[in-house]
Amino acid sequence: MMSPAGMTKRAAPVLACIGLLVVWQVASLALKNDSFPTAMGAITAIPDILGDKESLVNILASLRRMAMGFGAAVLVSIPLGLLMGRSAAIAAFFNPLLMVIYPVPKAALMPIIMLWLGVGDIAKTLVIFLGVSLPVIYHSFEGAKAVEEKMLWSGAAMGLLPVQRLVRIVLPAALPEILTGCRTGLVLALITMITSEMIARQSGAGNILFNALDMGQYDTVFAMIIIVGAMGICLDAIFERVRARLVRWSEPQFDMPLSFS
Amino acid sequence: MKARQNGRGSNDAPHGCENESLSGRLLARLVPLNLRASGTEDGMTVVSARSSEWVRPVTQQDPASAIIEIDRVSQVFQTSARKDHVALSDISLRIEERAFVSILGPSGCGKSTLLYIVGGFVSPTSGAAKVKGQAIKGPGPDRGPVFQEFALFPWKTVLGNVMYGPRQQGIRAAEAEAQSRALIDMVGLKGYENFYPKELSGGMKQRVALARTLAYHPEVLLMDEPFGALDAHTRTRLQNDLLNIWERDRKTVLFVTHSVDEAVFLSDKVVMMSKSPGRIRQVIDIDLPRPRRRNELLLDPRYQKYVVDIERMFDESDEGGVPA
Ligand SMILES: Nc1ncnc2c1ncn2[C@@H]1O[C@H](COP(=O)(O)OP(=O)(O)OP(=O)(O)O)[C@@H](O)[C@H]1O
Ligand SMILES: [Mg+2]
Repeated sequence: MMSPAGMTKRAAPVLACIGLLVVWQVASLALKNDSFPTAMGAITAIPDILGDKESLVNILASLRRMAMGFGAAVLVSIPLGLLMGRSAAIAAFFNPLLMVIYPVPKAALMPIIMLWLGVGDIAKTLVIFLGVSLPVIYHSFEGAKAVEEKMLWSGAAMGLLPVQRLVRIVLPAALPEILTGCRTGLVLALITMITSEMIARQSGAGNILFNALDMGQYDTVFAMIIIVGAMGICLDAIFERVRARLVRWSEPQFDMPLSFS
Repeated sequence: MKARQNGRGSNDAPHGCENESLSGRLLARLVPLNLRASGTEDGMTVVSARSSEWVRPVTQQDPASAIIEIDRVSQVFQTSARKDHVALSDISLRIEERAFVSILGPSGCGKSTLLYIVGGFVSPTSGAAKVKGQAIKGPGPDRGPVFQEFALFPWKTVLGNVMYGPRQQGIRAAEAEAQSRALIDMVGLKGYENFYPKELSGGMKQRVALARTLAYHPEVLLMDEPFGALDAHTRTRLQNDLLNIWERDRKTVLFVTHSVDEAVFLSDKVVMMSKSPGRIRQVIDIDLPRPRRRNELLLDPRYQKYVVDIERMFDESDEGGVPA
């Protein structure tokens, strides 16, 4: 049996989605604008896209690049952030570099990167990598800095060497914070994935979207927006599941509904 | 060394017999004649055995018996206001192997800092600290800290925390687990093996911290108010357990506490510190028979006398020490 409060909590996201679609439908009927299709029109275009083999190949190619960029960024950024958090010298070296890169929209680097690396997978994956890196580095850095000194002392007294302390104490202790960074990184990966494909049209979900836009197929454009949004929600929900498992030991006792998981 | 060890537990033995002349003088001051006369026979023999002539040759024959030597150590901290803050000033202390030494003093007098220096976590601004004759360069498994803040590993269960040290030292998992479970049982946390630290109360965390350090068998235990967060009942139980462990394994214990009773009950020697700057006021040998039984000791006039005298000394320093 579910409590009334629990039911409401479950139903709320669904109600929000339905509400949004209703508002959309009504607004588009009222405006009667070609470039603003009805919600129904957009939704009925979704099966056409997902049923088309070429579109599916494009979307999967996007996801593959995103996974590679995200994975590589996490593998590089976590150790770097942790090192920066524990060593003032390393932090002093990398901080200015990161501060320069930080405010630049990563997709704006796309044209230059394309000049060097072409319009293929490498350039797009690199942009995703850059987009994901900064929040992960930042949160790893903050997490590592906040590790209680006495915890490291305890480890040192047990005979852990500095590298072992970094891997076996700083990493797990900072994990909740690191995963917060990864979650932001995941959303940014999706955003940079689409924008990179907008600039380097060749394949991918962004390619479908912007081609449709050029050709005035607005149903398809909005259907793609829904698909990308749904992908974001699903990825975030999956990530949230994984995260909750990994840091069960640090979760607050009351639960905070942060996502639709 | 031999003589001292054999003598422990019997009543006519000298306890904590370095620092001979000072402790001899102190004791004479702490245990005045009327008490000695009215005390039990033990009391009289203990006192008479404490003449410095009797004790001195023992320590001088065996200078290695000092496991920890702190020589003129000072610690100055830079505060955020860019002023120097003298936390410890000119501390010298010798701690004998297998002795139980308490550090007693008001909050902020540098007790934790002194412990960190011995642990090798902090290097002193000046002076030198040695363990087993070697200058302390850093932490090591020979000195096991139990921190005031517990510092448990929150991602490990109670069992995982306690097993951490033994596993690090290469003990097989099954064996480490068996030992750890026994220790968890000893500190009264049977049934909580799979709890995470966030699911424990403050007192329970403190007991896990104690078990975690005992698990890797350090020669020297550095305990920073390990029973501070416990209720009176658990505190008494753990004091007894600690004494039992100590009487069995004879580790060297450096024990920081606020509680005069606790210091007198547990220790061979009480180091009284005073504040701003942190200094050693007095080192008092506690000549009470071992093994100590709480119910007997509480009724023992010599025990009561130590407690009252130490408390009085603190009161005096409070009156004299507060700047107008
Ligand atoms: N890292 C630090 N930076 C600056 N000052 C410090 C630092 N650590 C300790 N101090 C100062 O040194 C003094 C002694 O601190 P310490 O923690 O050793 O006291 P304590 O005797 O253990 O006190 P308590 O009984 O409250 O635990 C305090 O006045 C404190 O303000
Ligand atoms: Mg302290």
